[in-house]
Amino acid sequence: MKALDITDLEKRYPTGVEALRGVSLEIEEGEFFGLLGPNGAGKSTLIHCTTGLAQPTGGSISIFGHDAIANYAEARQAVGLAPQEPNVDWFLTVEETLDYHAGYFGMPKRERRDRTKELLETFSLTEKRDERTRTLSGGMKRRLILARAVMHRPRLLILDEPTAGVDVELRLELWHYVQKINQEGTTILLTTHYLEEAEQLCDRIAFIADGQIVAEGTSPELAERFDVPNLEDAYLALVGRKELSRSHIELSADEVEA
Amino acid sequence: MNLPMTAAQIRFATLWRRECNRFLKIKKQTIGAPMLETFLYITVFGAALGSRIKHLHGIDYILFVIPGLIMMAFSTNAFTNNSSSILQQKFQGAIQDQLSSPASPAELLLAFSLGGFMRGLAVAFLTFIVSVVLVGLPVEHVLVLIPSLALVGFFFSQLGVLIGVRAEQFDDVAFAQTFVLQPLIFLGGVFYSAALLPQPFETLTRFDPIFYMINLVRYGFVGFSEVSIALSLLALTAATTALFLFNLRLFSRGYRLRA
Repeated sequence: MKALDITDLEKRYPTGVEALRGVSLEIEEGEFFGLLGPNGAGKSTLIHCTTGLAQPTGGSISIFGHDAIANYAEARQAVGLAPQEPNVDWFLTVEETLDYHAGYFGMPKRERRDRTKELLETFSLTEKRDERTRTLSGGMKRRLILARAVMHRPRLLILDEPTAGVDVELRLELWHYVQKINQEGTTILLTTHYLEEAEQLCDRIAFIADGQIVAEGTSPELAERFDVPNLEDAYLALVGRKELSRSHIELSADEVEA
Repeated sequence: MNLPMTAAQIRFATLWRRECNRFLKIKKQTIGAPMLETFLYITVFGAALGSRIKHLHGIDYILFVIPGLIMMAFSTNAFTNNSSSILQQKFQGAIQDQLSSPASPAELLLAFSLGGFMRGLAVAFLTFIVSVVLVGLPVEHVLVLIPSLALVGFFFSQLGVLIGVRAEQFDDVAFAQTFVLQPLIFLGGVFYSAALLPQPFETLTRFDPIFYMINLVRYGFVGFSEVSIALSLLALTAATTALFLFNLRLFSRGYRLRA
């Protein structure tokens, strides 16, 4: 079954900016899928359209067979979103943040309580449970955002640059967790600027540029498609910055030594 | 026997709880300050001015003024709460958590509305209790009073939601409150009777929709009104329904909420 089926998706903002220009994308259930592209390519807009935060101006989105517009309740129930910016509610405590989120998704009280306790422990937030979210450090907010995203046990987890600005230790912790839930059956859609992470984690990757999917496949397939040795070079070829390739830099260093 | 709540009921209860929790967490500002403000009005206009005016239309001046103050407390708190809550959540981005949930536009709108309604009701109710104890405020027409206050509260809750959704900065909310709402309330006859005003001000007052709301509430408490109760109730019901439907349309379209 397809976890996410996007067909000819278009998004034109009232300002006239065309953020998405006929994007089509299929993600199978259980896949770990990476979406890569430069800033402003349309990654976040695509995610916002999928989660109901933006309204498409054309095309369709189906989430586990539910149309994201006509059957938005069923579609959104299946999705968990960890957004790029830590958008926590300043008035809530850490525990309330999780509890309220689960409530928005209709989870009964006892289940909310148990799940909150479980996730507070998983994300090392138990000691912070009664603290207001605005007092948390950036890293703690990131943990909370991810805990909140998985609180209602979504079948499709969308991670929009979840490790931007976090330290190595936390990054690895987060990746271990998402790999674990992916192995347990959760489909993951990840956007990131860390190409080595996409290479290591994702089953398949799509490149998006200027509101269009320009290439899609496994990491080796993409490298082959751009006739380069690895994913990073494929990405650099996509954004037209081949001169930044590490192989060029290493070559230049060799020339200097010679 | 306690039936388990449905997912939709849990969702709505949580959305509503969030809105009430917000103002209760800062109750010094959201309940305490409006209470103090209302009692300052009662002191200044009731005790100080009341010692000179004594009666208006045969009613103790303080009793004439308090229904308007209760209505004013209900309306401004309902308005302020909702406009601030929505704008703050837009700023923080926290509103995305609710917008990306399965909640329908009607559920979101009602929950946002009821937060302010509850805050306004709390301040109005506390003012009422204290007024009963201190000056023996009567309730002459409870069957007019309850629907009138409910409609006033819901109307201003909706207005707060509308301004909160439209607002892009806190200045937008402050502008609506300071330059539109406050003058309409003050000039709507909270502290005086329109009959005492010279022309053209008496006639102009009748173009102020809040004049009719104040008279409805005043009639419910002390049994005096300068307008038709039936017509005012009907007009207020129509205006509140129209505003709710307008807001519902905005929420359904995602106006300034969804990109």
